[in-house]
Amino acid sequence: MRHGIQRIGVRLLMLVALCLLGGLLSASLVRFSPGYGVDERELDPRLSPATVEAIRNSHRLNSGLLSYYGHYLAGAVHGDFGSSEWLQRPISSLIKERLPVTGRSVLMGVLVAWVVALAISLATVFFRGYLLDISGTLVSGVLIALPAAVVAIFSVYLRTPVFLAIALVTFPKLFRYLRNLLAHAYAQPYILAAQARGIGQARILFHHVLPLAAPALFALLGVSLSMAFGAAIPIEALCDSPGVGQLAWQAALNRDLPLIMNLTLLVTIITVAANSFANVASERSL
Amino acid sequence: MSSRLKNLALIALLAFALPVRAQTGGELHFCLHGEPKTFNPVLVDDEPSENIRYLTGGVLIRLNRQTQALDPALATSWKVSRDRRTITFHLRKGIYFSDGTPFSSEDVAYTMRLLMDPETHSTTGDAFRSGEGAVQVRAPGPDIVVITFPAPIAGLERLFDQVAILSAHSPKKEMAVLGPFYVADYKAGSYVLLQKNQNYWKHDAQGHALPYIDSVRLDIQRNRDIELLRFRRGELQLINRLDAEQFDRLQQENPVVTKNAGTGLDAEELWFNQVPAAPLPEYKKAWFRTKGFRKAISMAINRADLCRIVYAGYAKPAYGPVSPSNQFWFNKSLEDPKYDPQAALRLLAQAGFRYENESLKDRAGNRVEFTVVTNSGNAAREKIATMIQQDLTQVGIKVNVVTLDFPSLIERITRTFDYDACILGLVNTDLDPNGQMNVWLSSSENHQWNPSQKAPATSWEAEIDKLMREQAAAATEKERKAKFDRVQQIAAEQQPFIYLINKDVLLAVSPSVIGAVPVVLNPPGFWNVETLRLGPAPELGVQK
Amino acid sequence: MTRRRLRVICAAVLCAIFGVGLFASTVSPYSYARQFRERPNAAPSASHLLGTDSLGRDLFARLVYGTRVSLLLAPAAALLATLIAGVFGGLAGLVGGWCEKLVLAAADLSMALPLLFVLLALRAVLPLDISPILSVIATFVLLGLLGWPSSLRVVWATTRNLRNSDFLLLARATGCGRWRMIVRHVFPNLRPVLFAQFWISIPLFVLTEATLSMLGLGVMEPLPSWGNLLRGLEDISAVSANLWRLAPLILLVLVVICFQLILPAQEETA
Repeated sequence: MRHGIQRIGVRLLMLVALCLLGGLLSASLVRFSPGYGVDERELDPRLSPATVEAIRNSHRLNSGLLSYYGHYLAGAVHGDFGSSEWLQRPISSLIKERLPVTGRSVLMGVLVAWVVALAISLATVFFRGYLLDISGTLVSGVLIALPAAVVAIFSVYLRTPVFLAIALVTFPKLFRYLRNLLAHAYAQPYILAAQARGIGQARILFHHVLPLAAPALFALLGVSLSMAFGAAIPIEALCDSPGVGQLAWQAALNRDLPLIMNLTLLVTIITVAANSFANVASERSL
Repeated sequence: MSSRLKNLALIALLAFALPVRAQTGGELHFCLHGEPKTFNPVLVDDEPSENIRYLTGGVLIRLNRQTQALDPALATSWKVSRDRRTITFHLRKGIYFSDGTPFSSEDVAYTMRLLMDPETHSTTGDAFRSGEGAVQVRAPGPDIVVITFPAPIAGLERLFDQVAILSAHSPKKEMAVLGPFYVADYKAGSYVLLQKNQNYWKHDAQGHALPYIDSVRLDIQRNRDIELLRFRRGELQLINRLDAEQFDRLQQENPVVTKNAGTGLDAEELWFNQVPAAPLPEYKKAWFRTKGFRKAISMAINRADLCRIVYAGYAKPAYGPVSPSNQFWFNKSLEDPKYDPQAALRLLAQAGFRYENESLKDRAGNRVEFTVVTNSGNAAREKIATMIQQDLTQVGIKVNVVTLDFPSLIERITRTFDYDACILGLVNTDLDPNGQMNVWLSSSENHQWNPSQKAPATSWEAEIDKLMREQAAAATEKERKAKFDRVQQIAAEQQPFIYLINKDVLLAVSPSVIGAVPVVLNPPGFWNVETLRLGPAPELGVQK
Repeated sequence: MTRRRLRVICAAVLCAIFGVGLFASTVSPYSYARQFRERPNAAPSASHLLGTDSLGRDLFARLVYGTRVSLLLAPAAALLATLIAGVFGGLAGLVGGWCEKLVLAAADLSMALPLLFVLLALRAVLPLDISPILSVIATFVLLGLLGWPSSLRVVWATTRNLRNSDFLLLARATGCGRWRMIVRHVFPNLRPVLFAQFWISIPLFVLTEATLSMLGLGVMEPLPSWGNLLRGLEDISAVSANLWRLAPLILLVLVVICFQLILPAQEETA
């Protein structure tokens, strides 16, 4: 028991370290990418030199990377995540405002994508329908070739909610994996044997196929979540959905170091959490 | 029921509905193209915030966007002293802020002090900074304000159009306003909702309180295509700036809604990097410093094609820093240079370049080749660059086009100077040449081709410096005009900026908006928002 | 055996498209950069098979040349990404322990990092005036190097599953050597996953290239690629008015579908 708790503790510590490493790396990337500390307003001929200097100084505040990181950690312990250079507002309130919007659309999108992909791929495997298989391939082929931007614009054009666009972008990749996984599982000799013996399809699916495919399925769940999160950035930016994706896009364009660093931290936490969930779940199922 | 009867019924309904519904009330709905960074009028420096300041702020003097004359607003009258350092305002009486706080000279004094405080770093305040020293603001009575500046300011009273008065006492701080609307609701990344200010001072000729409209909803929408889509569906009633291509399409579908306000003030321009310390090979720097080279490039660019193809005809070729629509300041005596690749080649030959085997070489035999950078995401500029690329092959020059995201681009043109040539449109919001002061002074950071010079690098830059300073201090507008005409002449001779085009100001206005008169000056579509009315929304007759 | 016939057809279509791309200069009547300025946005006609773009450039010529750029380089990038994912994912799955943790952590990190800035930093390092061809190659190598983490987890999960499966246990028990095991047992079972991964990433790389050009890293004007041709689709109202503008998308979809329909053949023979 004690050993178990220790193991979990070590694991958690590693995850935290990983997330922080992600944050630090992204902060350094932003800091050393071209255009850091540059402001569009500098091109405005109406500004006096003193004002331009003030604008520049406001960016210089965070330019000492190590000291910035130290300050950040010290603040973060007290729940203060700093404030955005671009919007001049505390980051915690910005994220609190926008996370629910994105969270909802990503979860809904992933759910829809999974249900549809699972249904179609099971159907193709069950019925071994030639037409079904081809049409599934065709649909996913069309969808996979559509740029996320075009999907986003279609979704605005047809007034569909953002989550459907996310589902549409996530579905084709998910479908390909799922179909291959299931086809592979069904091709295993002992399943063929079970089928030959006339064991019910449902029993085969739940007792043999799914347990066999479970680790890969759980890994896929993690991947699909982070995939949907990635897709949310361009989609939200284009649809002007007030979520984290839009915020991240704007932050990147404005080289907003504190904001990007916090958002990266958030994304790392979500990715790492989703993946460790997948790991733990798949270990259990073995 | 026959369709005829139905139609009749509809007409009858409309007949009743029209006069009643067109009176007052309703919500005007249009888009901001970015997040407003601040609601504090003193700190405004981006377009979305500027639009909100225009809709909510009360100013002493209003520049009439249509007549380009100054109208009294919160000040009933004003007087500028002979030395153009002091301005005296007489304020309107019995006026209240949107939250009920009374308005007096104290508020004006408070606003001016805040605006001119060096710690505030206000863009609006910077326009008033003509010389060293403090600004003195006195309020000898509740309705008199006297403001004295350390040095004379040309076109002083015009600058007050940008100064929205803040309340010195209101507990709501900058959210208490004197303009036609106040900010009632704001959801970051989504929308700003403005409600009618019940205390607004203005009334129409019949004594009705202005504005007629109850509220304005501003959606934050960066994507122009989506904006157009929503306009066609009737969700939006106004688009303040349309791309030429969008305008062209909309015009073919529904000419009633498209409005062309005329040639605007903004120009697109190309310039070569003339910074001595730039990390470029010396021979390249030598080309860019050669007057004949720059003039030849300017001649070899087919501006008429740019207007026709990139802007669907909704632009005019530009040859100088002042748009022809700026009637007073435009130098009419300057000749428009012709598009003439042959003449360009002759000019290049005079400057020591050789044209052989369809490629241009300089004296030392280096192939003339350079890279034009511009910002990504601006389709028009990318097209301009690509067309210039083809135009210049005619004089044997090879051009590479690279698009960079804005911060990287700005870093290159203001910090590292690691670029050959750049295409950008520098904003030009002011009719007055003082608005371009920082572009022309060789010591300024916005002197893009060679910024922040200790001493002018060339004699012509020295002459421009002198002329710009003189025009700002000159006593009469006529004298100022003569000086600035000469600046335009030098710019045409030297081509430090190769001006390309002036865009038309293009809008879309739904027929349900009554009283809209689009203009060239900002904000083109809703400058007269207080007298706009909303009628019934007729079917746009465009798709879905 | 209609399925086999279908595969033959798909393969023929792909070969044809590849061929057209390879011999672009003989197939297309004009140069991809030539601007017919008197005919911008023209509809398809005998002289311009697919019409012209907004600068009057022949869209057919651009499509043909773009095919060459994209169809030669996107699969190369996909191959690179899949190889990296295969090697590291397989390693992590087979070896386990610290190696596994390290690889997974690296994948998690690079998935979460704002890659945009990696690319921006790279753009700053590269000079502005590198030749277009070189920049195209650099772009796709980069895409290949950066595209691995999304496939990695799938490969890893499959490998780990294999490690614990009965037949490998059996193989080990019968004294099968380590390399022999990898080559004879692990790799054949990984192959379908790797192939799926490879085909899926091709269109992704084609599309990512389009986004990259916004950072000044993609294919530079006037060189065409499917990516920058597809960017034209973002203006949806222009597309609905001129349906022939969809040609690059149709071509991409066609290629992707053909690739995918050929794929099961390998799966079954494996």
